[in-house]
Amino acid sequence: MAKPRPLEAVLASFAALLLGCAAVHAQQLTQQWTPQLTIAATEAAYRQIRIEVEFIPGAEIAGFEIWFADRDFAATDEAELHSTVLVADTSALERVGENIAFDRCWSDGLPIHRDAAGYPVVGFGTSSWSCSLSGMNPGVDQWIAVVPIGADGAPLVDSASLQPVPGRTDAADERTPPPDTRPVLYALSLVVLATASLLIILRWRDAARGRSKSRLAHIYVAPALIALATLTFYPILYGIWLAFTNADQSRLGDEAWVGLANFAAIFTGPGVGRVTLFTLVWAVSNVLAHVGLGLALALALNRPGLRGRMVYRTILLLPWAIPGYISVLAWNGMLQPDGLVNGLLGTGIDFFAGADSARAVVILVNIWLGVPFMMMVFSGALQALPGNMYEAAEIDGVSHLDQFRHLTLPNLKGTLVPVSLLGFIWTFNSFNTIYLLTQGNPHSGFGEPGATDTLITHVFAVAFEYGQYGVAAAWSVLIFALLIGLSWIYLKRTRVMEAAA
Amino acid sequence: MSGNVAQPIQAATLAERWYVPAEIAALRVWLPFAALVNAFISGGEALRGNDAALFAGLGAGALLIALRGLLPDGARRFPLWRRTAGRALATAMLLSGALFPLWRDFSLYDLWAVSWLVVPAGLSLYWLSAGISGTWCAGACDARMAESGLARNRRLGPRLEAFALHTFLIHAAALVVAPVVWIVDVAVSPGNILGGAIFDAFSLEHFRAVLGGEAFWLWTRNSLVVALGTTLAGLLLAIPAGYAFSRYQFAGRKGAMFVFMLIQMFPGIIILVPYFMVMKTLGLLNTSIGLIIAYSVTALPLCVWMLKGFFDAVPRALEEAALLDGCNRAQVFFFVVLPLSLPAVAITALFSFLTAWNEFLLALVFNTANDAYTLPVGLASMIPATGQLWGDFAAASIIVSIPVVALFMLFQRSLIQGISAGGVKA
Repeated sequence: MAKPRPLEAVLASFAALLLGCAAVHAQQLTQQWTPQLTIAATEAAYRQIRIEVEFIPGAEIAGFEIWFADRDFAATDEAELHSTVLVADTSALERVGENIAFDRCWSDGLPIHRDAAGYPVVGFGTSSWSCSLSGMNPGVDQWIAVVPIGADGAPLVDSASLQPVPGRTDAADERTPPPDTRPVLYALSLVVLATASLLIILRWRDAARGRSKSRLAHIYVAPALIALATLTFYPILYGIWLAFTNADQSRLGDEAWVGLANFAAIFTGPGVGRVTLFTLVWAVSNVLAHVGLGLALALALNRPGLRGRMVYRTILLLPWAIPGYISVLAWNGMLQPDGLVNGLLGTGIDFFAGADSARAVVILVNIWLGVPFMMMVFSGALQALPGNMYEAAEIDGVSHLDQFRHLTLPNLKGTLVPVSLLGFIWTFNSFNTIYLLTQGNPHSGFGEPGATDTLITHVFAVAFEYGQYGVAAAWSVLIFALLIGLSWIYLKRTRVMEAAA
Repeated sequence: MSGNVAQPIQAATLAERWYVPAEIAALRVWLPFAALVNAFISGGEALRGNDAALFAGLGAGALLIALRGLLPDGARRFPLWRRTAGRALATAMLLSGALFPLWRDFSLYDLWAVSWLVVPAGLSLYWLSAGISGTWCAGACDARMAESGLARNRRLGPRLEAFALHTFLIHAAALVVAPVVWIVDVAVSPGNILGGAIFDAFSLEHFRAVLGGEAFWLWTRNSLVVALGTTLAGLLLAIPAGYAFSRYQFAGRKGAMFVFMLIQMFPGIIILVPYFMVMKTLGLLNTSIGLIIAYSVTALPLCVWMLKGFFDAVPRALEEAALLDGCNRAQVFFFVVLPLSLPAVAITALFSFLTAWNEFLLALVFNTANDAYTLPVGLASMIPATGQLWGDFAAASIIVSIPVVALFMLFQRSLIQGISAGGVKA
């Protein structure tokens, strides 16, 4: 069945409803709990399929889970959980139809109630609700099943023999009206003109001061600065503007100002704290390991008289030399349940299934990737240290440990501090490792950040998987602020330390 | 160093006080370390749900710590009973380690794990039984003997240190090489088997599939166009700027340099969304031009900093001589500075080429059509959630990596120097 047939489906649902009412309660237990799912005519909106669900209000139903996959499925473990609709007392709740980025839902023909966590809630007396599910792949059948759940969260029907209904949204991927390029071109020319005039003013000031030697300097710098201004500063400003608009995949160029709504959506949405915390854990643990292991390897490689130094050096440089995406995908393969790691251990663990093991795995793989850079930086710094310093220490009978603590470490501080900051920022900003290993999985719900999502990978998902450019831009502004804040604290700290030293 | 006035100590006492056989000193450091590794192994066993091995690992760690406890601290006398107890303990560990293979299927990993019990135990037994520790602990250690012992330590110490160093480095190297070996194994094995024995079957089917298909060549062409275009555009922008920063004092120099440094610190994702929208509006998605523009600007700051560092190293005297000879500034730049710094320019070119060749995120976002993929996105697309072509991916990875790794290794010194000049010193 390629296309949904709304009329037939509606008729069928009415028939089933009548049947359900007439049936004997005990015999038709499953029948009663099975909600009648209808795929409504798809909306024009990008990547959305509207479902309508009718059910017999019963005290046992505490909510519904919406499962979907891009093929027919019988059990929930073959599908992905899209969202959850709760059944509860709605008297104290407000009707908020649209949730952050995800779904619009209705009950009784009005926007649905939402609880404090943002979950849609259907009142006890209501017998139908409908939702526009976002994030559906366009142009292919999406199979959707609605599973009623009890108060304990367990499904009330056999979750291994579901009968999902196919639906489809045909809004094309590139559904843009011929874009109006004028605003962008105007803005770009404005930026070019502004940068050029800034340079002319600076050039004129130099000339006024009689610095004739630097006549050409501004012309030399101009191309690079103009390129940077048009392709970095302008996008940053544009991004800040987008953060306050409702730009999404179906609205390009005609986005409207929505004030702080995107930020409100972020802070009231699920998982903000969790994803920020994991980003920090990810960056800090990686930097500690990179610096620690890099320093240890550099010290080992720089021991005088080490045999095979070049061989070790070349091998240990490999993670830096091999394209990063290839190594990460290789680790992905090695860590599969039937992969090399499990083969060596004699086990069949799925490292990516559990939240904690997936987190550990992404961090370990990224450690593997980043050590060589630190190793080489410290190697260079160690080679620059004067050798006679150590000879003197040796003659004085200073132990190796004390030599490291009192000679090597203080002398390396000038390298250690900036390189750690750089490492922190690089790791904070890194995308490939997590995207290519887990894509942020395991996810607890559609639209929420996954267990291994960092801020960066989550923004990517919000923008390019859910198509919510405005929300993604708001996230970007927050990340920008966070990075500036962290750098500022760091600079202040180091200045205090330098002043104290 | 303590500033105490040295007490007149007799040479004999001094030598005795300082002398500990190098083997014993080494064991004192190594045994706790081996215990730590055994604790890690136990952690792994806990993950596997293998309780017996978990306790075996913990037990081994405890025994190693106990053995360490029997060794003297500093150069105190080493009573005979301690030496005997240590030898007994080491023998027991050696035996239990040797018995280990009998009660379970033995994998390569198991061999490694057991070696962290057997080797320390064996070395302890050997060195505690050796004559030198016997005489030493029996107290039969006069000044002459201590002196010859110290001389022996000077010979032996570096060798023991080298042993520890190589152990550490071999472990690190094995961890680094593992994915490489795995990729080669998957590429030359028939089918898409991810685990199992290494190099047990041989087939070139994956290489044939990759090189015979159209997609790989298309992606390579896209990658080459993008990487070469980026290199050219990046250099054209970066060389004059780097030169100006290196040679001229001009209004706005500090501010511009600071901006160039700051830009590298902020994540690409911040400007990714607006970038994407601009590219979409201008119709530059799925084109090489769009990626070239994006890459040459993102790599620009580091290139400028690298080139500034290289230009700083070119002596100014030559330029001044050329100026005196009547060249103008532009001629000096093109006919004196540029030829002199060609190696540096080549390194910067290589850097931008490699950056563009390996970049993933922007290529993923900007190019959504299969025939516009660059190699990174194309290779990653071989491994979606369903129908994973691991063998083809591995074969393609090897073909893509070999030139890149070779270039990197050939020019590693200059590359690393340039990047640390650009990234760290900035």
